[in-house]
Amino acid sequence: MNLHIDDHQEDNYGILKLSGEIDAYTAPQLKDKLLTLVEEKESVEVDLTKVSYMDSTGLGVFISALKLSKEKDHNFKLTNLQENVYRLFNITGLNEVISIENTIKGELS
Amino acid sequence: MKETVSSVVIKKEWDIVGARQAGRQLSQELGFGSVDQARIATAISELARNIYLYAKEGEITFEELYDLPKVGLKIIAKDKGPGINDLSAVMEDGYSTSGGLGAGLPGVKRLMDEFDLVSDEEGTKVTTIKWARP
Amino acid sequence: MSSLRSDMQDYKDLLSKYLETKDEAILYQAEQFSKQSIQQNISPDEIVNVHYQALKDIYPDLHEQIEGSFKFLIETMISYGLAYQEHQVLREKQIELKSEIGVAANMQNTLLKTSVPKTHAIDIGVKSVPAREMNGDYHHFIKDEQGNVGVAVADVIGKGIPAAFCMSMIKFAMESFSENQIYPQWILDSLNRVVSRNVEQGMFVTMFYGLYDVYTHQFYYASAGHEPCFILRNETREFEEIDAKGLLLGVESAVKYEQLNTSIHEGDLIVLLTDGVTECRVDGRFIEQEEVLNIIKEHEHLNSQEIVEYVFKYFERLQDFQLRDDFTLVVMKRNSSLSV
Repeated sequence: MNLHIDDHQEDNYGILKLSGEIDAYTAPQLKDKLLTLVEEKESVEVDLTKVSYMDSTGLGVFISALKLSKEKDHNFKLTNLQENVYRLFNITGLNEVISIENTIKGELS
Repeated sequence: MKETVSSVVIKKEWDIVGARQAGRQLSQELGFGSVDQARIATAISELARNIYLYAKEGEITFEELYDLPKVGLKIIAKDKGPGINDLSAVMEDGYSTSGGLGAGLPGVKRLMDEFDLVSDEEGTKVTTIKWARP
Repeated sequence: MSSLRSDMQDYKDLLSKYLETKDEAILYQAEQFSKQSIQQNISPDEIVNVHYQALKDIYPDLHEQIEGSFKFLIETMISYGLAYQEHQVLREKQIELKSEIGVAANMQNTLLKTSVPKTHAIDIGVKSVPAREMNGDYHHFIKDEQGNVGVAVADVIGKGIPAAFCMSMIKFAMESFSENQIYPQWILDSLNRVVSRNVEQGMFVTMFYGLYDVYTHQFYYASAGHEPCFILRNETREFEEIDAKGLLLGVESAVKYEQLNTSIHEGDLIVLLTDGVTECRVDGRFIEQEEVLNIIKEHEHLNSQEIVEYVFKYFERLQDFQLRDDFTLVVMKRNSSLSV
């Protein structure tokens, strides 16, 4: 399974729409793109609607992005998390420190 | 006993070929076999490419060495480029080849018999010698 | 060089015999020659040259174009020769590194060794097996002056050597805490400060910390982003999830952890684990965790060490004897007061 990253940017805003799985193999490319975006844009959104699986390396990427966004005083948020992906943020307590909008209860094939 | 024979200025990529040509001519005259000639030419290429890529401008100097009965060729590559920060890193295998840049300095060291490298913010100087097999 | 020279003579003899007879047996010898050359680190350009020289000896009036073509071929082979030699060196280095990692893994095992406290109140079993050479899981026991038992299970996210370093740091931090300060909240607050200060971004740690009070049979616990642990209640035969809210260690330095507690009754069984933790599939099932719990339930009559060993064996077989992730399981069972 791969991770597809759709990248859309405006002046002060960038959004990454992800589809697929985030794991040790796909995380590095996500990290590159995401950190560059957080560095450059005041407001960054990552849409996880089509992410069916994520492991701890994915968390690592988002923590790095969070830290960088704080350093830069930029906004960073995750949107449309599948319930089970959200569970990971919930267990690890990251839902308290990363802004997360909408979780989806639904089937993904 | 040594004798300065010639030097080639490296400025354009084309100059690499000129340096190879000069080195090959000399090594032939000194009696190097065909494999050694090819090795010397490859070493010169690497040195000249380094100058061309990283320092933009420099010079390759050749000296014939007569330490009879040994005969050899000394090649000095000199530039006034930014210098090399981490010498042991560039001398490590896998450093340059991973980027597909070629054999790099470790390659030059292997191709030749003697090798020395000095680098600071003033520039870089590589001195290397190949002895002809009697 | 002399061996190369005698090899060259051999090569020439082989070549001329072959050109005369086209005999397969000679081709076989050629194959042996090439293996020998590899053993002696003879590079491809050298072989081409040997061939060229042999050919010139056998056919003294070799056509000029052919001679030229060999020079051309030698030239193109030089870089292959270099790549080959570099490959050899890198291979040796790899072997060296592997053995160094082996030594480091042994050291890690020694460093992180923790002994299971003996106490009449509870029976403790533990099993921790790394999926690869260096374990990314960690567990640690502390017994305070009153005989209360502290237990930590942790998962360092980010694997291999950096994770191992991080773990050693946690272990030494924990050992530096005074034996009278082993309340979960205090431990996690302190560890979080240590980890935040000392760990590179991108590496973080989940930890579940529990303290078993052997006098009141209260189990105090706190969690730093770790998956929930469980208590198999003797009375209901059901698992009860125990979890406390808390952020992963190392993300933010000023975090206060929540501490909860629950009463442990005779025959209750506490299960702490790290495996399958931070994974989730879209079908929502934590297959591994569920299965672990079922196996434990089926074997709760065994003693704690037997239970964890049994679960591990089952688990290993389930994964075709190839662990995908580090495996750590701690089981603590409150003894019945009659059995003391």
